[in-house]
Amino acid sequence: MVMRRVDLRSDTVTKPTEAMRAAMASADVDDDVLGSDPTAHRFESEMARVMGKEAALFVPSGTMGNLISVLVHCEVRGSEVILGDNSHIHVYENGGISTIGGVHPRTVKNKSDGTMDLDQIEAAIRHPEGALYYPTTRLICLENTHANCGGRCISLEYTDRVGEIAKKHGLKLHIDGARIFNASIALGVPVHRLVQAADSVSVCMSKGLGAPVGSVIVGSREFITKAKRLRKTLGGGMRQVGVLCAAAYVALQDNVRKLADDHKKAKLFADGLKQIKELTVDTSSVETNMVFFDIVESSFISPERLCQVLEEHGVLAMPASSTSVRFVVHYQISESDIHYALACVKQAVQELSTDGIAK
Amino acid sequence: MRAAMASADVDDDVLGSDPTARHLESKMAKLTGKEAALFVPSGTMGNLISVLVHCDVRGTEVILGDTSHMHVLENGGISTIGGVHPKTVKNNPDGTMDIDKIEAAIRSPDGKLFFPTTRLICLENTHANCGGRCLSAEYTDMVGKIAKKHGLKLHIDGARIFNASVALKVPVHKLLQAADSALLCLSKGLGAPVGSVIVGSKDFIAKAKRLRKTLGGGMRQVGVLCAAAYVALQENIGKLEDDHRKAKIFADGLKQIKELSIDATSVETNMIFFSIVDGSLISPKKLCQVLEERGVLAMPASSTSKGNFAYSFWSK
Repeated sequence: MVMRRVDLRSDTVTKPTEAMRAAMASADVDDDVLGSDPTAHRFESEMARVMGKEAALFVPSGTMGNLISVLVHCEVRGSEVILGDNSHIHVYENGGISTIGGVHPRTVKNKSDGTMDLDQIEAAIRHPEGALYYPTTRLICLENTHANCGGRCISLEYTDRVGEIAKKHGLKLHIDGARIFNASIALGVPVHRLVQAADSVSVCMSKGLGAPVGSVIVGSREFITKAKRLRKTLGGGMRQVGVLCAAAYVALQDNVRKLADDHKKAKLFADGLKQIKELTVDTSSVETNMVFFDIVESSFISPERLCQVLEEHGVLAMPASSTSVRFVVHYQISESDIHYALACVKQAVQELSTDGIAK
Repeated sequence: MRAAMASADVDDDVLGSDPTARHLESKMAKLTGKEAALFVPSGTMGNLISVLVHCDVRGTEVILGDTSHMHVLENGGISTIGGVHPKTVKNNPDGTMDIDKIEAAIRSPDGKLFFPTTRLICLENTHANCGGRCLSAEYTDMVGKIAKKHGLKLHIDGARIFNASVALKVPVHKLLQAADSALLCLSKGLGAPVGSVIVGSKDFIAKAKRLRKTLGGGMRQVGVLCAAAYVALQENIGKLEDDHRKAKIFADGLKQIKELSIDATSVETNMIFFSIVDGSLISPKKLCQVLEERGVLAMPASSTSKGNFAYSFWSK
């Protein structure tokens, strides 16, 4: 029996489209390490233009994009970076900025909307008077949209204010903008304006935009020159990489406009989930393509168990904590898929409630 | 390759498993006689991961050739990124290092208050900076014995191991038998657009996969690249012998030019290095410039007036 499969684990599961495959197959390529791959060059120029920065660099992953950015801004030994305690860089990137880059993290509490209190950020900046004992703060990182906080958008005003703080203290600002296009669409703010205050941004092409592989770092020419060298050092220097950039270019052209629809579907999903009494969803916090919901304590259903039962119906999701589950919508999920998934959730919750099996 | 890339069956290789990547990795493991394999974006990352996994304890040292690619052309990443200390041993013109010099370079545990701990020996086959020279299976096995005797691991930078295998007429798995891990490039003579593969034990590869993610090499629907690499593997190993033949023709021809000196016997695979005779006062850079005006691209291999060139051959 061929089961219907609705993969809501992440927007990274998006598969390349026919247009992307055709572009990859016919890409004009060259050795991007010895020289310059024309398709990579074209794509990077376009990304720089779209993001309003001087230059751009294609990298194999968002993790490398963030790692390179932090390490370039913090190239002097003894550096510290301020970032959210619930940020992707701090939680899900293997601590690479430290284990690989020797940079010390200073976390500030992420609020439920993805921001950090401005005064707490400022308080976290190391005072030069303590230089004998302190590392030197060189960088602040923001994440937009903020994944662990539910795909919440960081506003333009907030970003600019953090930028002002950074400038005031001679620090750089990096934005982990893996899903920056989602933020831009949801806020109705052009992406280049949204990241104007940032010295660098890391943007993913392989998530909601659907490219098979890759992210892009953008920043000043000087920053990107250093980034390119570090990319080589980390092993991200790929040869005829235009085959990947061709697909990423299609993603940029074709799929930014589809994101608004993902946000609509996410809201649809959230509204449906709200009807299920064993679950609680803060629908007002569903701003982009992510839906987090909590399982009401008294129902004794565990996120793992719920996800297992859902999987039996072909619906894939991710437990987000000991009490919550995450769904991520992308353009390869239809409205019909959403309705199917909702029906499965309802059924699964019923099954698990009536079973009375606590696990 | 383009057709294979366009029609590749793919999936998220980080969240789960890309079927085409699996297919390539199984094939590579089998070919090399190792338990498992891992696709990586570049040879640099393959070597970096290998050294860092073998040397995952702080305070580690690795023995490698003084003209090895890893030591000279990988941005010193094993140290700047990985915190591993290099101990170089002189490379002979044939790409080997004297066995007794390797053994002498191993740090004695007696001195550990002052010494780092040697954990790894690295070989390079074929050896690029020595002219694409092949390391024999016998030599490799001898180094492997030394490594085992001292409780060290052995990693082979086999970026061009297929060239060595074809030139020596020794199967790849035999050439790599003594190694705990090896790095093989698909994007060089085999012609794939991107990528390399690391091979080793299941345990080694599991650690390598995690480090690959940490370094930022975890790619999503990576099957698009693996599909092309698979075609490279199927179709292009057979073409390497021709590259070696063409290189020899080139070397023999260059030998006729009196301003140049070349050791034609050292041309074993697809690389040719030649020196410019002192008295001719031609610099490698100038020669390359003039060649470029005629559409021939080459690389100055050293900056001294008695310079070398590297020409590499590949099949179209």
